[in-house]
Amino acid sequence: MKSLFQRLPRTPLLVALLVIALAITARAQDPKIQLAHLDHLAAKANETVDVNIDERLIQITIKLFDDKDEDEAKIKKLVQGLKGIYVKNFEFDNDNEYSTADVDSIRSQLREPSWTRLLNVTSKREGNVEVYISMSGSQINGLAVISAEPKELTIVNLVGPVDLEKLSKLEGNLGIPDLGVGPAKPKTKNEQ
Amino acid sequence: MNEEYLWDKSGEPDPEIQQLEQILGSLRYQAKPLELPNDVRVSRPNRYLPLLAIAATVLIALLAGILWLSIRNKHVDQPRQALVPSPSVPTPTPGSNNENKEKVVESFTPNRHRETVARNSPRRTRSEPATPSKEALLVKEQLMTALRLASEKLNLAQRKAQGPTPNQIRNQHKVG
Repeated sequence: MKSLFQRLPRTPLLVALLVIALAITARAQDPKIQLAHLDHLAAKANETVDVNIDERLIQITIKLFDDKDEDEAKIKKLVQGLKGIYVKNFEFDNDNEYSTADVDSIRSQLREPSWTRLLNVTSKREGNVEVYISMSGSQINGLAVISAEPKELTIVNLVGPVDLEKLSKLEGNLGIPDLGVGPAKPKTKNEQ
Repeated sequence: MNEEYLWDKSGEPDPEIQQLEQILGSLRYQAKPLELPNDVRVSRPNRYLPLLAIAATVLIALLAGILWLSIRNKHVDQPRQALVPSPSVPTPTPGSNNENKEKVVESFTPNRHRETVARNSPRRTRSEPATPSKEALLVKEQLMTALRLASEKLNLAQRKAQGPTPNQIRNQHKVG
Protein backbone atom coordinates (compact mmCIF):
# COMPACT_ATOMS: atom_id res chain seq x y z
CA MET A 1 0.00 0.00 0.00
CA LYS A 2 1.34 3.41 -0.98
CA SER A 3 1.97 5.98 1.67
CA LEU A 4 0.24 9.33 1.77
CA PHE A 5 3.50 11.05 0.85
CA GLN A 6 3.74 8.99 -2.33
CA ARG A 7 0.24 10.09 -3.34
CA LEU A 8 0.69 13.73 -2.45
CA PRO A 9 2.54 14.93 -5.58
CA ARG A 10 -0.36 13.82 -7.79
CA THR A 11 -2.98 15.72 -5.83
CA PRO A 12 -1.77 19.25 -6.70
CA LEU A 13 -1.49 18.27 -10.35
CA LEU A 14 -5.08 17.06 -10.34
CA VAL A 15 -6.19 20.26 -8.65
CA ALA A 16 -4.28 22.31 -11.23
CA LEU A 17 -5.91 20.39 -14.09
CA LEU A 18 -9.30 20.88 -12.48
CA VAL A 19 -8.71 24.62 -12.16
CA ILE A 20 -7.64 24.86 -15.82
CA ALA A 21 -10.66 22.85 -16.95
CA LEU A 22 -13.00 25.07 -14.94
CA ALA A 23 -11.39 28.22 -16.34
CA ILE A 24 -11.79 26.93 -19.92
CA THR A 25 -15.42 26.00 -19.29
CA ALA A 26 -16.18 29.36 -17.74
CA ARG A 27 -14.55 31.13 -20.69
CA ALA A 28 -16.55 29.08 -23.17
CA GLN A 29 -19.82 30.08 -21.47
CA ASP A 30 -18.89 33.75 -21.22
CA PRO A 31 -21.15 35.72 -23.55
CA LYS A 32 -18.38 38.25 -24.20
CA ILE A 33 -17.06 37.98 -27.73
CA GLN A 34 -13.54 38.88 -28.79
CA LEU A 35 -13.45 41.92 -31.03
CA ALA A 36 -9.80 42.93 -30.81
CA HIS A 37 -8.91 41.35 -34.15
CA LEU A 38 -11.11 43.94 -35.91
CA ASP A 39 -8.89 46.79 -34.78
CA HIS A 40 -6.96 46.75 -38.06
CA LEU A 41 -10.10 48.09 -39.79
CA ALA A 42 -9.75 51.37 -37.92
CA ALA A 43 -6.93 52.34 -40.30
CA LYS A 44 -9.22 51.95 -43.32
CA ALA A 45 -12.30 53.45 -41.72
CA ASN A 46 -13.44 57.02 -42.13
CA GLU A 47 -15.00 56.99 -38.70
CA THR A 48 -14.59 54.54 -35.86
CA VAL A 49 -16.50 54.05 -32.65
CA ASP A 50 -14.88 51.70 -30.17
CA VAL A 51 -16.64 51.26 -26.84
CA ASN A 52 -15.34 48.97 -24.13
CA ILE A 53 -17.16 49.34 -20.83
CA ASP A 54 -16.75 46.61 -18.27
CA GLU A 55 -18.86 45.97 -15.17
CA ARG A 56 -16.70 48.22 -12.98
CA LEU A 57 -17.11 51.18 -15.32
CA ILE A 58 -20.83 50.52 -15.65
CA GLN A 59 -21.19 50.66 -11.88
CA ILE A 60 -19.29 53.97 -11.81
CA THR A 61 -21.39 55.43 -14.61
CA ILE A 62 -24.71 54.30 -13.16
CA LYS A 63 -24.25 56.79 -10.33
CA LEU A 64 -24.35 59.64 -12.84
CA PHE A 65 -27.86 58.83 -14.01
CA ASP A 66 -30.58 60.87 -12.39
CA ASP A 67 -33.38 58.75 -10.95
CA LYS A 68 -35.78 61.70 -11.04
CA ASP A 69 -35.44 61.97 -14.80
CA GLU A 70 -37.75 59.42 -16.42
CA ASP A 71 -35.52 58.73 -19.42
CA GLU A 72 -32.34 58.45 -17.39
CA ALA A 73 -34.10 56.17 -14.92
CA LYS A 74 -35.10 53.90 -17.82
CA ILE A 75 -31.55 53.73 -19.10
CA LYS A 76 -30.21 53.14 -15.60
CA LYS A 77 -32.61 50.25 -15.11
CA LEU A 78 -31.57 48.75 -18.43
CA VAL A 79 -27.86 49.12 -17.80
CA GLN A 80 -27.48 48.32 -14.12
CA GLY A 81 -27.60 44.56 -14.54
CA LEU A 82 -25.12 44.50 -17.39
CA LYS A 83 -21.60 43.15 -17.00
CA GLY A 84 -20.13 44.67 -20.13
CA ILE A 85 -20.91 46.82 -23.14
CA TYR A 86 -18.66 46.37 -26.16
CA VAL A 87 -19.25 48.06 -29.49
CA LYS A 88 -17.19 48.43 -32.62
CA ASN A 89 -18.46 50.54 -35.48
CA PHE A 90 -16.51 51.30 -38.64
CA GLU A 91 -17.77 53.61 -41.35
CA PHE A 92 -15.93 53.46 -44.66
CA ASP A 93 -15.79 55.72 -47.69
CA ASN A 94 -15.99 52.85 -50.14
CA ASP A 95 -17.73 49.51 -50.37
CA ASN A 96 -16.07 46.23 -49.36
CA GLU A 97 -13.37 47.73 -47.21
CA TYR A 98 -13.77 44.86 -44.75
CA SER A 99 -13.58 41.20 -45.66
CA THR A 100 -16.04 38.40 -45.05
CA ALA A 101 -13.33 36.79 -42.93
CA ASP A 102 -13.61 39.69 -40.51
CA VAL A 103 -17.31 39.02 -40.06
CA ASP A 104 -16.84 35.25 -40.03
CA SER A 105 -14.39 35.56 -37.15
CA ILE A 106 -17.24 37.02 -35.09
CA ARG A 107 -19.80 34.51 -36.35
CA SER A 108 -17.55 31.60 -35.43
CA GLN A 109 -17.59 32.74 -31.80
CA LEU A 110 -21.38 32.81 -31.87
CA ARG A 111 -21.63 29.17 -32.99
CA GLU A 112 -21.22 27.99 -29.42
CA PRO A 113 -24.25 26.22 -27.98
CA SER A 114 -25.05 29.02 -25.54
CA TRP A 115 -25.73 31.39 -28.46
CA THR A 116 -28.92 31.35 -30.53
CA ARG A 117 -29.48 33.33 -33.71
CA LEU A 118 -32.66 35.27 -33.18
CA LEU A 119 -32.75 37.13 -36.45
CA ASN A 120 -30.89 37.07 -39.73
CA VAL A 121 -31.75 39.53 -42.46
CA THR A 122 -29.82 39.24 -45.71
CA SER A 123 -29.85 41.88 -48.37
CA LYS A 124 -27.42 42.15 -51.27
CA ARG A 125 -27.89 45.88 -51.50
CA GLU A 126 -28.24 46.89 -47.87
CA GLY A 127 -26.11 44.22 -46.23
CA ASN A 128 -26.84 41.72 -43.49
CA VAL A 129 -28.05 42.12 -39.96
CA GLU A 130 -27.84 39.28 -37.49
CA VAL A 131 -29.08 39.28 -33.91
CA TYR A 132 -27.85 36.64 -31.48
CA ILE A 133 -28.82 36.03 -27.87
CA SER A 134 -27.09 33.98 -25.23
CA MET A 135 -29.35 32.17 -22.81
CA SER A 136 -28.71 31.11 -19.26
CA GLY A 137 -31.70 29.05 -18.26
CA SER A 138 -34.71 31.09 -19.28
CA GLN A 139 -32.93 34.43 -19.05
CA ILE A 140 -31.01 36.28 -21.73
CA ASN A 141 -27.47 36.83 -20.47
CA GLY A 142 -25.90 38.21 -23.63
CA LEU A 143 -26.71 39.96 -26.87
CA ALA A 144 -24.68 40.23 -30.05
CA VAL A 145 -25.61 42.18 -33.16
CA ILE A 146 -23.65 42.00 -36.39
CA SER A 147 -24.59 44.64 -38.90
CA ALA A 148 -22.54 44.25 -42.06
CA GLU A 149 -23.53 46.95 -44.50
CA PRO A 150 -21.54 47.79 -47.63
CA LYS A 151 -19.94 50.87 -46.10
CA GLU A 152 -20.42 50.17 -42.43
CA LEU A 153 -19.61 47.35 -40.07
CA THR A 154 -21.06 47.33 -36.58
CA ILE A 155 -20.64 44.75 -33.86
CA VAL A 156 -22.57 45.16 -30.63
CA ASN A 157 -22.02 42.88 -27.67
CA LEU A 158 -23.90 43.34 -24.42
CA VAL A 159 -22.97 41.00 -21.58
CA GLY A 160 -25.53 40.37 -18.87
CA PRO A 161 -29.31 40.34 -18.66
CA VAL A 162 -30.71 42.37 -21.56
CA ASP A 163 -34.28 43.54 -22.05
CA LEU A 164 -34.57 43.63 -25.85
CA GLU A 165 -37.85 45.51 -25.85
CA LYS A 166 -36.55 48.27 -23.62
CA LEU A 167 -33.33 48.45 -25.60
CA SER A 168 -35.10 48.84 -28.92
CA LYS A 169 -37.27 51.59 -27.44
CA LEU A 170 -34.24 53.61 -26.34
CA GLU A 171 -33.70 55.16 -29.75
CA GLY A 172 -35.02 58.70 -29.69
CA ASN A 173 -34.77 59.08 -25.91
CA LEU A 174 -32.34 61.18 -23.91
CA GLY A 175 -30.30 62.63 -26.70
CA ILE A 176 -30.22 59.34 -28.54
CA PRO A 177 -31.34 60.47 -31.96
CA ASP A 178 -34.20 58.66 -33.60
CA LEU A 179 -32.80 57.67 -36.94
CA GLY A 180 -36.14 56.52 -38.22
CA VAL A 181 -35.06 52.96 -38.63
CA GLY A 182 -37.31 51.55 -35.95
CA PRO A 183 -40.87 50.35 -36.26
CA ALA A 184 -43.26 53.02 -37.56
CA LYS A 185 -44.64 55.24 -34.81
CA PRO A 186 -48.31 56.34 -34.77
CA LYS A 187 -48.68 59.82 -36.21
CA THR A 188 -49.92 62.68 -34.05
CA LYS A 189 -52.93 64.77 -35.00
CA ASN A 190 -50.76 67.68 -36.14
CA GLU A 191 -48.73 65.44 -38.44
CA GLN A 192 -51.88 64.07 -39.99
CA MET B 1 17.67 -11.35 52.00
CA ASN B 2 20.77 -9.35 51.33
CA GLU B 3 19.61 -6.13 49.72
CA GLU B 4 23.19 -5.02 49.02
CA TYR B 5 23.52 -7.83 46.51
CA LEU B 6 20.36 -6.74 44.78
CA TRP B 7 21.57 -3.16 44.69
CA ASP B 8 25.17 -3.44 43.50
CA LYS B 9 26.00 -7.15 43.74
CA SER B 10 28.10 -6.62 46.87
CA GLY B 11 27.78 -8.77 49.92
CA GLU B 12 26.61 -12.34 50.06
CA PRO B 13 24.30 -13.51 47.35
CA ASP B 14 20.94 -14.96 48.22
CA PRO B 15 20.59 -18.51 46.83
CA GLU B 16 17.04 -17.86 45.70
CA ILE B 17 18.17 -14.80 43.80
CA GLN B 18 21.04 -16.71 42.26
CA GLN B 19 18.64 -19.39 41.08
CA LEU B 20 16.43 -16.80 39.46
CA GLU B 21 19.48 -15.23 37.83
CA GLN B 22 20.43 -18.53 36.31
CA ILE B 23 16.97 -19.12 34.95
CA LEU B 24 16.57 -15.66 33.47
CA GLY B 25 20.21 -15.41 32.39
CA SER B 26 19.51 -17.11 29.12
CA LEU B 27 17.33 -14.16 28.15
CA ARG B 28 20.04 -11.61 28.87
CA TYR B 29 20.98 -9.17 26.09
CA GLN B 30 23.82 -10.47 23.96
CA ALA B 31 25.39 -8.00 21.59
CA LYS B 32 25.69 -9.33 18.04
CA PRO B 33 25.70 -7.70 14.58
CA LEU B 34 22.43 -7.44 12.66
CA GLU B 35 22.08 -10.18 10.12
CA LEU B 36 19.58 -9.64 7.36
CA PRO B 37 18.45 -12.51 5.20
CA ASN B 38 19.53 -12.23 1.57
CA ASP B 39 16.02 -12.36 0.13
CA VAL B 40 14.89 -9.23 1.96
CA ARG B 41 14.64 -6.14 -0.36
CA VAL B 42 15.20 -2.85 1.29
CA SER B 43 12.77 -0.30 -0.20
CA ARG B 44 14.34 3.10 -0.66
CA PRO B 45 12.18 6.20 -0.61
CA ASN B 46 11.99 7.81 -4.06
CA ARG B 47 14.46 10.66 -4.19
CA TYR B 48 12.38 12.57 -6.74
CA LEU B 49 9.14 12.60 -4.78
CA PRO B 50 9.91 15.72 -2.74
CA LEU B 51 11.17 17.42 -5.91
CA LEU B 52 7.95 16.49 -7.72
CA ALA B 53 5.91 17.86 -4.85
CA ILE B 54 7.84 21.13 -4.97
CA ALA B 55 7.53 21.33 -8.77
CA ALA B 56 3.77 20.73 -8.59
CA THR B 57 3.38 23.43 -5.95
CA VAL B 58 5.40 25.89 -8.04
CA LEU B 59 3.31 24.98 -11.10
CA ILE B 60 0.08 25.65 -9.25
CA ALA B 61 1.41 28.95 -7.92
CA LEU B 62 2.43 29.93 -11.48
CA LEU B 63 -0.96 28.97 -12.92
CA ALA B 64 -2.75 30.88 -10.19
CA GLY B 65 -0.51 33.88 -10.87
CA ILE B 66 -1.12 33.75 -14.63
CA LEU B 67 -4.86 33.41 -14.07
CA TRP B 68 -4.87 36.35 -11.68
CA LEU B 69 -2.78 38.50 -14.02
CA SER B 70 -4.96 37.69 -17.01
CA ILE B 71 -8.11 38.59 -15.08
CA ARG B 72 -6.52 41.80 -13.81
CA ASN B 73 -5.21 42.79 -17.26
CA LYS B 74 -8.63 42.12 -18.72
CA HIS B 75 -9.99 44.88 -16.53
CA VAL B 76 -7.06 47.26 -16.83
CA ASP B 77 -6.18 47.00 -20.53
CA GLN B 78 -9.60 47.75 -21.87
CA PRO B 79 -9.49 51.17 -23.46
CA ARG B 80 -11.80 53.60 -21.75
CA GLN B 81 -12.04 56.18 -24.50
CA ALA B 82 -14.21 55.89 -27.52
CA LEU B 83 -12.72 56.89 -30.81
CA VAL B 84 -15.03 59.76 -31.33
CA PRO B 85 -13.93 62.24 -33.98
CA SER B 86 -11.93 64.86 -32.15
CA PRO B 87 -12.91 68.51 -32.44
CA SER B 88 -10.82 70.24 -35.05
CA VAL B 89 -8.21 72.65 -33.78
CA PRO B 90 -8.55 76.10 -35.40
CA THR B 91 -5.63 76.85 -37.68
CA PRO B 92 -4.08 80.23 -37.05
CA THR B 93 -4.60 82.80 -39.77
CA PRO B 94 -2.42 85.90 -40.11
CA GLY B 95 -5.27 88.27 -39.27
CA SER B 96 -6.52 86.44 -36.27
CA ASN B 97 -3.19 85.80 -34.59
CA ASN B 98 -3.84 88.04 -31.64
CA GLU B 99 -7.31 86.66 -31.09
CA ASN B 100 -5.99 83.12 -31.11
CA LYS B 101 -3.26 84.02 -28.69
CA GLU B 102 -5.80 85.55 -26.38
CA LYS B 103 -7.92 82.43 -26.57
CA VAL B 104 -4.92 80.25 -25.84
CA VAL B 105 -3.99 82.40 -22.88
CA GLU B 106 -7.55 82.23 -21.63
CA SER B 107 -7.72 78.49 -21.90
CA PHE B 108 -4.32 77.92 -20.33
CA THR B 109 -4.41 79.12 -16.77
CA PRO B 110 -1.63 77.52 -14.75
CA ASN B 111 -2.47 76.33 -11.28
CA ARG B 112 -1.34 78.91 -8.81
CA HIS B 113 0.60 77.78 -5.82
CA ARG B 114 -1.72 77.83 -2.88
CA GLU B 115 -0.48 78.25 0.62
CA THR B 116 -2.18 75.92 3.02
CA VAL B 117 -3.02 77.46 6.31
CA ALA B 118 -4.15 75.31 9.18
CA ARG B 119 -7.61 76.15 10.31
CA ASN B 120 -9.42 75.00 13.34
CA SER B 121 -12.72 74.66 11.59
CA PRO B 122 -15.38 72.19 12.68
CA ARG B 123 -15.66 69.10 10.53
CA ARG B 124 -18.51 69.17 8.06
CA THR B 125 -21.05 66.55 8.80
CA ARG B 126 -23.19 67.12 5.71
CA SER B 127 -21.74 65.41 2.64
CA GLU B 128 -21.50 67.60 -0.42
CA PRO B 129 -22.87 66.22 -3.68
CA ALA B 130 -19.91 64.67 -5.52
CA THR B 131 -19.24 66.25 -8.88
CA PRO B 132 -18.81 63.58 -11.53
CA SER B 133 -15.26 63.25 -12.79
CA LYS B 134 -14.37 63.95 -16.40
CA GLU B 135 -13.59 60.29 -16.91
CA ALA B 136 -16.98 59.21 -15.58
CA LEU B 137 -18.76 61.69 -17.85
CA LEU B 138 -16.76 60.38 -20.79
CA VAL B 139 -17.75 56.81 -19.94
CA LYS B 140 -21.37 57.90 -19.69
CA GLU B 141 -21.08 59.43 -23.14
CA GLN B 142 -19.57 56.19 -24.45
CA LEU B 143 -22.34 54.21 -22.82
CA MET B 144 -24.95 56.38 -24.50
CA THR B 145 -23.19 55.97 -27.85
CA ALA B 146 -23.08 52.21 -27.39
CA LEU B 147 -26.75 52.05 -26.43
CA ARG B 148 -27.70 54.26 -29.36
CA LEU B 149 -25.88 51.96 -31.76
CA ALA B 150 -27.28 48.83 -30.13
CA SER B 151 -30.82 50.20 -30.24
CA GLU B 152 -30.40 51.49 -33.78
CA LYS B 153 -29.10 48.18 -35.12
CA LEU B 154 -31.72 46.20 -33.25
CA ASN B 155 -34.45 48.35 -34.75
CA LEU B 156 -32.83 48.09 -38.17
CA ALA B 157 -32.91 44.31 -37.94
CA GLN B 158 -36.52 44.43 -36.75
CA ARG B 159 -37.54 46.74 -39.57
CA LYS B 160 -35.78 44.62 -42.20
CA ALA B 161 -37.36 41.47 -40.82
CA GLN B 162 -40.81 43.04 -40.93
CA GLY B 163 -40.39 44.01 -44.57
CA PRO B 164 -40.60 47.33 -46.42
CA THR B 165 -42.41 50.25 -44.78
CA PRO B 166 -45.58 51.67 -46.38
CA ASN B 167 -43.57 54.68 -47.63
CA GLN B 168 -41.20 52.43 -49.52
CA ILE B 169 -44.11 50.56 -51.08
CA ARG B 170 -45.66 53.87 -52.12
CA ASN B 171 -42.40 54.99 -53.71
CA GLN B 172 -42.11 51.70 -55.56
CA HIS B 173 -45.57 52.35 -57.03
CA LYS B 174 -44.50 55.75 -58.21
CA VAL B 175 -41.39 54.38 -59.88
CA GLY B 176 -43.26 51.45 -61.40
